[in-house]
Amino acid sequence: MTAAIGAPLPSYDPADTENATTLPVGGTATVRTYVAELLRRHRRAFLRLIAVNSVAVLASMVGPYLLGGLVEDLSAGSRDLQLGRVVGLFVFALAVQTFFVREVRLRGAMLGEEMLADLREDFLVRSVALPPGVLERAGTGDLLSRITTDIDRLANAMREAVPQLSIGVVWTALLVGALTATAPPLALAVLVALPVLLIGSRWYYRRAPAAYRSEAAGYAAVAGALAETVDAGRTVEAHQLGARRIALSERRIAEWTAWERYTLWLRSVLFPVVNVSNVLLTSAVLLLGGVFVLRGWMDVGQLTTGALLSQMLFEPIGMILRWYDELQVAQVSLGRLVGVREIEPDSGEEDLTPAGRELAAQDVRFGYREGTDVLHGVTLSVPRGTRVALVGPSGAGKSTLGRLLAGIYGPRTGQVALGDAELARMPAERVRQHVALVNQEHHVFVGTLRDNLLLARTGADDAELWAALGAVDAGTWARALPDGLDSEIGSGGLSVTPAQAQQIALARLVLADPHTLVLDEATSLLDPRAARHLERSLARVLDGRTVVAIAHRLHTAHDADVIAVVEDGRISELGGHEALVEADGAYAALWRSWHG
Amino acid sequence: MQIRDLPYTDPGVPDVRTGPRFLLWLGRMQLGGQAKSLGWGTLHMASVASVPAVVGLAVEAVVERSGAGLLRAGALMAVLALTVTLGDTMLHRTAITNWVTAAARVQQLLARRTAALGATLTQRVAAGEVVAVSTGDIEKIGWCVESASRFSAALLGATGVCAGLVVYEPQLGLLVTCGMAVLAVTVLPLLPRATRRADLQREKAGRATELAADTVAGLRVLRGIGGEELFLTRYRTASQEVRRAAVRTARMWALIEAIQVALPGLLLLAVVWHGARLALDGRIGVGELVTVYGAVTFLLFPLRLFQEFAMAYSFSRPSAQRATRVLSLRRGTEDADGAVTDGVSPAGGRSAGSRGRPPEADALDGDLYDPVTGLRAPEGKLTAVVCGDPDAAGKLADRLGGHPPDSTGAVSVRLGGVPLDEQPLAAVRAAVLVQDKDPVLLSGTVRELLDVPSSGEVSARHALRAAECGDVLDALVQGSPEADGDALSASVTERGRSLSGGQRQRLALARSLVACPRVLVLDEPTSAVDAHTEARIADGLREIRAGRTTVVFSSSPLMLDRADSVVLVQGEQVVATGSHPELLHGHAAYRSIVTREPEEGEAPGSDGGTPEGGELAGRSIASGTATAAFTAVGDEAAAARSAEAAGALRDLAAGEAVEVVDVLDSAAEGSEAPVGAQAADGSAATGERGELAPAEGAERA
Repeated sequence: MTAAIGAPLPSYDPADTENATTLPVGGTATVRTYVAELLRRHRRAFLRLIAVNSVAVLASMVGPYLLGGLVEDLSAGSRDLQLGRVVGLFVFALAVQTFFVREVRLRGAMLGEEMLADLREDFLVRSVALPPGVLERAGTGDLLSRITTDIDRLANAMREAVPQLSIGVVWTALLVGALTATAPPLALAVLVALPVLLIGSRWYYRRAPAAYRSEAAGYAAVAGALAETVDAGRTVEAHQLGARRIALSERRIAEWTAWERYTLWLRSVLFPVVNVSNVLLTSAVLLLGGVFVLRGWMDVGQLTTGALLSQMLFEPIGMILRWYDELQVAQVSLGRLVGVREIEPDSGEEDLTPAGRELAAQDVRFGYREGTDVLHGVTLSVPRGTRVALVGPSGAGKSTLGRLLAGIYGPRTGQVALGDAELARMPAERVRQHVALVNQEHHVFVGTLRDNLLLARTGADDAELWAALGAVDAGTWARALPDGLDSEIGSGGLSVTPAQAQQIALARLVLADPHTLVLDEATSLLDPRAARHLERSLARVLDGRTVVAIAHRLHTAHDADVIAVVEDGRISELGGHEALVEADGAYAALWRSWHG
Repeated sequence: MQIRDLPYTDPGVPDVRTGPRFLLWLGRMQLGGQAKSLGWGTLHMASVASVPAVVGLAVEAVVERSGAGLLRAGALMAVLALTVTLGDTMLHRTAITNWVTAAARVQQLLARRTAALGATLTQRVAAGEVVAVSTGDIEKIGWCVESASRFSAALLGATGVCAGLVVYEPQLGLLVTCGMAVLAVTVLPLLPRATRRADLQREKAGRATELAADTVAGLRVLRGIGGEELFLTRYRTASQEVRRAAVRTARMWALIEAIQVALPGLLLLAVVWHGARLALDGRIGVGELVTVYGAVTFLLFPLRLFQEFAMAYSFSRPSAQRATRVLSLRRGTEDADGAVTDGVSPAGGRSAGSRGRPPEADALDGDLYDPVTGLRAPEGKLTAVVCGDPDAAGKLADRLGGHPPDSTGAVSVRLGGVPLDEQPLAAVRAAVLVQDKDPVLLSGTVRELLDVPSSGEVSARHALRAAECGDVLDALVQGSPEADGDALSASVTERGRSLSGGQRQRLALARSLVACPRVLVLDEPTSAVDAHTEARIADGLREIRAGRTTVVFSSSPLMLDRADSVVLVQGEQVVATGSHPELLHGHAAYRSIVTREPEEGEAPGSDGGTPEGGELAGRSIASGTATAAFTAVGDEAAAARSAEAAGALRDLAAGEAVEVVDVLDSAAEGSEAPVGAQAADGSAATGERGELAPAEGAERA
């Protein structure tokens, strides 16, 4: 069994997938700047922590000093130990120590919690300011994993590591100082132990942080595999994937435990190093001090105090080693969190205001990746109040064109302008006053129905909210909710049907009141019954607005003023339904195919 | 058990009667590991306990001015250094091994249980609860199991030192022993409070994380429409609540820590005071005083371990309870030791079926027949089912697969006359594959996704082509540079979140086609796919399933038109069977569902033509001619459609007689009347709507 202490570096690194990221990760400089800023913000709490910590440590040294004095007196054959005075001092020191230990712990936690709260709030502030284009492109998955996994990993570091580490450092410094003050020669003993500790921990810290990250990622992957099996229960059963899911879980367990084994090996090196340096320190103090006492260069009391102080050093050193680890692991997570700061916030020209409501794309080219355009020179004009339907096979660029028209992306060349003002140069907050993109994503936020509506018009009063709900036919069910507007909906609250979720989304549109809407398959995920019921709601919302509708189902196109057939990133046909059917081109073919 | 030997080939059958029993069972399963840990722990404890004695010896030697004594003490120290180091390292190794093996065992048990429960799991327990066991509870369970041996070692060590002290110096020894006993229990009453506060803090933190995750998940909506500040304020409030709760917890821990300083300090004081008097009287030496002082400081170490174990136990008990709740779940049809898990054992599955099918599986062949609705899907044919109510469609689809997750006690569906519910689950699942409305894409590469138990008759490429996955694969390859252009190596994220709804549907369909079961039931497989692609998928489906039984729940004319026969199910009953064109013209209710037009008799204003068409129909409302506009739109579309249908009818094989089966069996008679009534209403309504009825009448004639 002892033969198997060494462990190879596992070949598979579960953290790799975690590193696959769609958003930037902060470099060392960004992290450093951020940490400096964080410390500056909390420097008073920090200084206070160090102060109370110093008092606690100093009080804890009184015991060894008093014992040292007693030993000295006893060995000198003194008959009058002044026990009363010693005990009094001891009790006083103990009271001080007790009070300040509590303070240290509490202030450490308060500081840690404040920094952690700052960190997570800062992150969300940055996240909600991300340009919509970045969000569309990167998706929210990466952000989501940052705000859950990385914040979690940082929690421990901020809550414990930062305060404990500063406590440990202060403690060690004071103890070494005290040791030196007690008997300067004894400080030499520290020099005997220090090299062993330094070399050993250097070896360890070169390997440990990355290994712990992989270990944590491996453990998360074990839970992740299980979560997927649970989530996909029906699919797993239908496809008889049970055995494969078990095998996958076991593979994940094997991958995770390989990292557990590796980090255990790392600690199997570190632990003896720490132990040996501890014992080396005590032995050196005893032997060195013993010799000095024998030579008469110092007294027994000093030796006793020194030996006890050197034993007290074990704890803070262990503390530093332990939390330094955690801090290193946290640094990567911190990098991911502050990485969001490296994305240029959406600037835009504040004074750019559209003159008119005509939406026009002029020779627009656009691609998601360099060198591959999805749209190849699209020109389309949408006069105020008209309905345009974009049709075409999937992957042709309909949705991309819709996003350009909604100002989410800026074109690579050409321009998309609303009333002669280029959308790409306007801040997102300005664009959305005019144009809204409505897609399949009808997110219902966790919170009250009121919160879910207020986001569209922050200052709206209840009457306006009810009016908006009424306008989309949601008044009836909303009034039937137990607490009306204050009912908790979203995950964990009252469940809302997909159709109701869509009505909420529509009510938001009523409140936000943009004059132009880009609809991207807004109802295609709903079942036919619900879809039918929603049409009236939608129709009312569309009333009087300019609409660009991306259509899966051809009957959508049928009633539009203008149909644009998008094929291979170009508009291949443009015109009304009748005209296009007569032209007998791609649209006519599609139309016939729909009727099969 | 060593870590490198994980995972277990068999994690065993746990005792899931109660949480503590489960913890005990886990401990029993690793008795060897516990013993090792106890052994090394005792060595470590003994060595650390001896250090003060050696320090005492050294001080004594110095007091007596004995160089030899000092050297002896130094040598002893070196030996101790060795045993302390060995004990500490090996204790850590064995304890961590116990932790990891216990955690891995529980993870394996969970994986097996969830796989066995399959579709029924989330009906019995919230999905979040299972995941919480895996992410949070197992850690605590492992901690408790692991700290048991350290606790025992600490107990041994402390008892040893106290006994030693009593022998060495009875008065001091008794003082220390009594003091220790008191100290060990002092913080115990505080622990439950600390635990409660920690739980509250976790709850608040969970809430804040949920809010943050929710805000991020809906960020596109927020950025698109506004309200960022509102949500930030909300999150800040939640975040500050977490902070306050955490500080409250810390306050408790700070108190506990202060007590852990004060009480041992008082004990130390008593020992020093008493010891100094003994030393004054000359009854003990100065070195011995230092030893006793050191021994008391040492005892704080096992004391912490006692408290740690108490904490681990109080934390892990609810965790173990939660774990047993999940682990004790059983399928309805499953006996206590999980006989049904055969279905998930590596030997089961469709792939094994092709090589050596279990005898009873061979009997599962023939027409699929549902006695409840009267639905019959003929062997080897493509049958489309139109069902007005999507929920009812889902339930029917479930029943068609046999062993439905929410067994309502309905009569079993029969395959070739054999009731499916009475057959072994594994055999039934191998014979009939039901793809539900929301099939989940499991993360992994496309190759892994399509690597499902299959009869091996359909290749992955063939299935992907039939499901029109070309552009899906392109998108996936673009998103995974590591695939290096190979579509099958491209990775799909969890639930296929990076894909659109239509793309997900097509991949899921490809997976079901690869499986190539004898009977395939698809519930709305193309509802989010565009018309153009849907038409091609319908063709591909027909071709790839040729000669195999397929049932498709759909309301899309493109799909229905390609089925061998279409069955209309309403109110738990088959009300009509025929080809798509026949039903379109012969059945008002069918037409209403398929064309998404208002059903005759419904006020046109309460309904609005087609879902996305409605968006545009709204324009007509704007123009001020509400109802009239709707009717006009409807008529126009219907007229166009009936013209198309005429073409379709011509295309039909002339020999296929129009066979509209209104009622399949006598049980359905009850529903005939309303349908008839509807039809009657319908003709009246269509009459009002102008030329539609004549047009259709002409067509039928």
